[in-house]
Formats: sequence, C-alpha cells, structure tokens
Amino acid sequence: MAADPKMRFLVVDDFSTMRRIVRNLLKELGFTNVDEAEDGAIALQKLQNGGFEFVVTDWNMPNMDGLTLLQSIRATPSLKHLPVLMITAEAKKENIIAAAQAGASGYIVKPFTAGTLSEKLNKIFEKMGQA
Amino acid sequence: MSDFAGMEELLQDFLQEASDLLSDVDNKLVDLEKMPDDHGLLNEIFRGFHTVKGGAGFLNATELVTLCHLTENLFDKLRNGELELTANLMDVIMAATKGVREMFGELGQGVQPQPADPHVINALRAALEGESPEIPAAPVAPQAVETAPASDEPDWNALHSAVTGKEAEPVTQGELITKLEAEVPPALGEISVSPQPAAVAPTGRRASDQPSSQAAAGRRADERGRENTIRVDTSRLDQVLNLSGEIGLTKNRLTSLRVDILAGKNDSETLQALDQAVSQLDLLVSDLQNSVMKTRMQPIGRLFQKYPRIARDLARQLGKDVELVLAGEETEVDKTMIEDLADPLIHLIRNAVDHGVEMPAERQASGKPVKSLVRLEARQEGDHIVLIIADDGKGMSAERIRAKAVEKGLVSEEEANMLDERQSLNLIFLPGFSTMAQVSAVSGRGVGMDVVKTNIHKLNGSIEIRSEPGKGSVFIISLPLTLAILPVLLVLLGDQPFALPLSMVREILPIDQSRIQEVGGKETLVVRGEVLPVISLASMLGWPLERYPEYGVFMQTTERSFILGVDSFAGRDDAVIKSLEDFRPKGVAGVTTLSNGQIVLILDMKELLADLGQHADMRAGLRALELV
Repeated sequence: MAADPKMRFLVVDDFSTMRRIVRNLLKELGFTNVDEAEDGAIALQKLQNGGFEFVVTDWNMPNMDGLTLLQSIRATPSLKHLPVLMITAEAKKENIIAAAQAGASGYIVKPFTAGTLSEKLNKIFEKMGQA
Repeated sequence: MSDFAGMEELLQDFLQEASDLLSDVDNKLVDLEKMPDDHGLLNEIFRGFHTVKGGAGFLNATELVTLCHLTENLFDKLRNGELELTANLMDVIMAATKGVREMFGELGQGVQPQPADPHVINALRAALEGESPEIPAAPVAPQAVETAPASDEPDWNALHSAVTGKEAEPVTQGELITKLEAEVPPALGEISVSPQPAAVAPTGRRASDQPSSQAAAGRRADERGRENTIRVDTSRLDQVLNLSGEIGLTKNRLTSLRVDILAGKNDSETLQALDQAVSQLDLLVSDLQNSVMKTRMQPIGRLFQKYPRIARDLARQLGKDVELVLAGEETEVDKTMIEDLADPLIHLIRNAVDHGVEMPAERQASGKPVKSLVRLEARQEGDHIVLIIADDGKGMSAERIRAKAVEKGLVSEEEANMLDERQSLNLIFLPGFSTMAQVSAVSGRGVGMDVVKTNIHKLNGSIEIRSEPGKGSVFIISLPLTLAILPVLLVLLGDQPFALPLSMVREILPIDQSRIQEVGGKETLVVRGEVLPVISLASMLGWPLERYPEYGVFMQTTERSFILGVDSFAGRDDAVIKSLEDFRPKGVAGVTTLSNGQIVLILDMKELLADLGQHADMRAGLRALELV
C-alpha cells in the first residue's frame, strides 16, 4: 500500500532536537504533515482532538511515558486503531516485549536513518493494508 | 574541517538543548547528595543521560553515547535499588558528568569527542558490577578497556509475532545477526547493531579515533566562543515582525506624502498627515527598539544553573559544607551581559566558598549551623538588574583589610587610617590585593577582585560590599537593563552638549553661589540636610572655568553622591551608543547622534571621577568626596 504523503503524523518526544530529527527524517520520506508533542500527556490530548493518522513516540518522557501513551491509545475506542511506532534507545528484550504486549505497531532503536524509518513505516503500512 | 558537515544545524540544536539538560542534571546531582533516595530525582537524572545518549547517537558521537550509556545504567540500578549511592559513587558520577560536558566542548569545536578518561569508564563499569569504584588521582596511560559481552538485538518482528501469536518463525541466532547487519545502514557503523553501545567502547584506539590537535585543544578551549546563537520566544519575534510591517506601512505613507509635498502641496491637511505619520513612526520605532532589545533578553537562570555544581565541587575539595541557594532565576538580562557576567560571578562564588565561609569545626565552635549557605540572587529594580552574592561566613574585618593593604604597599598607613568601613572593604578591589595569608589554589591569586570590578564596570554596572564580622558578607552588583540604549541627560558646557547616563541623575537644581560652603578647601552644597561636594564638569574635563556653573546635577553612584556643575541643559534623549572602536579617550563611554545630526560624547562619570581623584590631590579629593 502506497502511503498517503498527506498522512498526519504526531511526533512525541521531550527532547526538541529529537523531534526535529524525526520530523526531518519524515520529511525526507515525503511526509510533511507533522505535529509535535512534548510528552505523552500532551500527545494524548492532541490525539483526542482528532485528525492524526500515525503516532511516532519516544519511550522515556516525563509526565507520561511512551508506553503509558501507547496503552492509553489502545484503551481509547476512538484511537485504538492508530498505528504507533515506538522509538527508544534500548533494544532490551523486556522493553520490546512490553511494547509488543501493549500493542505497538513497530519498534525502532535510536539512532536510525531515513532508510530504517522508511522500512519500519512500510512494514506497518503493509500490515494496515492487510487488516 | 568539521566532522559534522551537513549536520551543523542539528549539532547546534543538540548542543544547546543538551547543555541545558546537563546543567539541570548537574543541579539535580547536587540535590541528590542531600536526598540520595529521592526516586523522582534519580528518575530525572536517568532520563537526562538517556536523552543525551539518544541525541548523540544521531550525531554518531559514539564516545558520548558510551559514556552516557554507562552512567544511565548506573542510575537505572540506583533507582531500582540495586545499588546504593555512596560518596565514592557520587564522585564517579560527577566525573562522568564532567566528561560529558567536555565532550560537548569538543562537539562545539566541530570534532568528534575523544574517548572518555578510561579511569572514569572503568570506575563506571566497576560500579555497575557492584564493586566500590575509585578514580585514581594520577593520570596514567590509557589502557585497553574490557569489552562487554555483546548480546543480540532481539528481532522485533519475531518477538511481536511470538507475543501476538501470529506467524511465529523460528530464527537462528546466526540468521538473526546476518539479518540485523543487513538492516543496519553502513553509515551508522557498529554502534547501531549493538544493544549496548558500551560494547563498542574503545579497545585501544581505532584509526579514526586519533585525536586531532583541534580536538585536544577543544578540551581546554574556552567554551564561551560558541554561544553564537540565541533562543527567542516566537511571540517576541512575531512582535518584531509585526512592528517592522507597520513601520513599512508608515514609510509608504511618508513616501506618498513626500511626493505630494515635492509637488508643491502644502495645505494644512497634508501637513497634518505628515505630522501624524511622523509621530506614528516615532512611536513604532521606539516600540521596535524595545522589542528587539527583548529578543536579546535571556533568563539569568541559564547562567545560574551552572553554579551550584561549581560551589559543591569546590566546597568538597576544601572540606566545607556549603549549599548555594539560587533565587530570581527568571530575571531577564541582555545576552551579552549574561556572557560577560559568567566569570565575575564564578569568581565571587568561589570567593564566598573559599574565603567567606568557615570550616565546619570553626562554624560549630561559634554556634553556627555546620552547613553554610551562599545565596545567589537576581532581581530587577526599576531600570536596573541587581545581583546579590551573600554568604553567612565570617565576614570581613575592615581593620584586617586595611592592614593587609598597607602591608602590600597598596595604600600608605596614613591613607588607610582615613578610610571608613565601606572604603576599607573596597580596598579588596585594588589590583594585587588578596586577604589570604597563603595563596590557595582556588581563589587566592589576588588577581580576581579587581578583574571582577573592571568587568562589572565595563557593563556600566557597579559593585558594592557589605559585611558584618561573624555574620557574613554580601556583594551587590547593579547593572543597567541593556547596553544597547542608554537614557541620557544632555547638559551644556558653553555651547557644547555632553550626555550623562540618566541612571546616575537624581535631580537637577539651580546653584545659588551664596549657598556654596567651603569644607576642607572644597566647595559643598547642602541639599535637604545632606552635604554634597560640588564638582564642575569643566574642571572634571580639564577645561578652564569661564563662569560659575548655574545648574547642579545631583549625581548618585553606589560609591558616592555629588553635585555636577554645568551651564545649562538641552534635554533628555535615548542614546544609541556607538563605541569609538579603537580610540577611547578616558572618561568617554561612547558617542551618540542628536536629532539635528550633532555628535555628542557620552561621559563615563566613574572614570572621570577616578581620574579626578588621581591627578588632582588625591587625598584632598577623597576627603572632599567622602566627607559626606
């Protein structure tokens, strides 16, 4: 399934440099409709206002971390089908299992390039296409 | 050559954000020493290193990733209760934080950081293993660091399938690694395949790690050079944009009016429109000046946050127990001023910790709490910023300072005996003064306080000391809000206008020659019960006194008050100071242009006064000025 370049992304990270990195990588892949949130709590609020089609979130954040955000998304009927790509600096098994159990659509380890991101996104788009 | 071609912007963003984050971590570490079990603090510090690590990965700064990763793991164990925070461990953490900051310095020079001090890395690893870590004091040759056993990155898809129970495919370890390696873009190198960046810590030095001379210099280089960017609230920028837009519109209006007027149209309606447009432009330009000035304003907290750590390290080194308390961090100060304040403030804080505060035993003996407080505070008072550095130490003895100054030959005994308490304290600002009998490694070089004073002076500021023996000392720095625009009073000497900083002017009064009284051979005037010396501007500038000054300007600095005699006034103005570049006559702070195009000198009162004290009969001058 070819991804819609107008797809609206929400990038969630407390480190603004990292949000910019992700935003730039998404731009490289042709996705320019990107909004940002500083933590899970702000993200959830933005998501509840609607309009987002894809969430890329960091794991470790103050107020509400990425895993809790993911769980909250999955527990909200209007949001539960949103694809969520988790970004983290860890590739620990426990983390990945926790993310998978919470219903993450994908998992990407920092640092990554546009190529890696594109690959992960495409896998998620494929799955969404099949569903 | 930069190691970060094409990534400069990312690097700048990273450095700015990560440096703030690290300063924050530094402060939290100081707090953590007081509350070693605070889970919130441990979490926040953990996240700090974690975040820096994540960003560093994108810059391929592997050494920084390694250092942050190890430190982060340590905090993970601390917050999980697997490790306990000991004083030794704290030293290791502090050393690691210092290492991170040094690496920021190298990144700021555009080079990849060199590997961290192997002792720090080893100590971190030892601590992670639960051993008591130690950092040897003497540096020895770098040695090979043991490579941590590499584990495999779990495959997301396999795990996801396993957990979700869909299309579970058995993958052998060999396949997994091949697959992973294939997935990793070559540019990122080995670090990205490793689940533990620590695993690629240097085992000896790779060719690419050869330190360039630039990198080595970067370690020691002054980090101040790189602060070329500034973060501005977008709403402030929007305001600047909005105002420039309005100025554009007003300019268009004026252009069309000019066409009309040049065509001979000068009816009252046209002139009224011209008047309106010019007034509007006037208003808009001053608004714009204010807005632009505001974009340069930064909260002084960005400077303050570096100090608790410095104070803590120094106190520990000296065996003292000191807490640096910050207040007024949100006070906004011009960016240039923040940079120029960094050194003087460090010096004053070091001074407070080193000289001001007593040793714990001494404090106990005099019935004081063992922990001493040093307060660093900023606040805005009218059009001034006031900075206060106060300690609750032993205070300064005017007598001892006088004796010291005489011993050092800075003043004669006769001069010293004439000085009052405040003037005696001010002796510490003389070049070559140091109160410590023995020069300490920290602040007793005797070159500090006069440099502090000179630096504050350069910012059009002043510094004042108050001290109470046994109770402590307070240094009060007063600074103008901005250096860009200076409100001035224009005074006339004959036909020649001069500009005086309005901040020093208290009031203007006519001089009635019959009320002048001579005290100690100097002219004085009593203003509401206060005896003030009268100094004519002409004599200050070395001009012949052609007629007796008609007006007096009541000038007030933190050091002295006096009446400046002038012939007349030309009004007040907001001067945009232009410096005289290489040529700076004594007593002239700069020049500005009046509305009629005339160039006016802005006088540096303090310098003129100092000059007066020096080349005239110094003692008599002092007496006259200080009699009050």
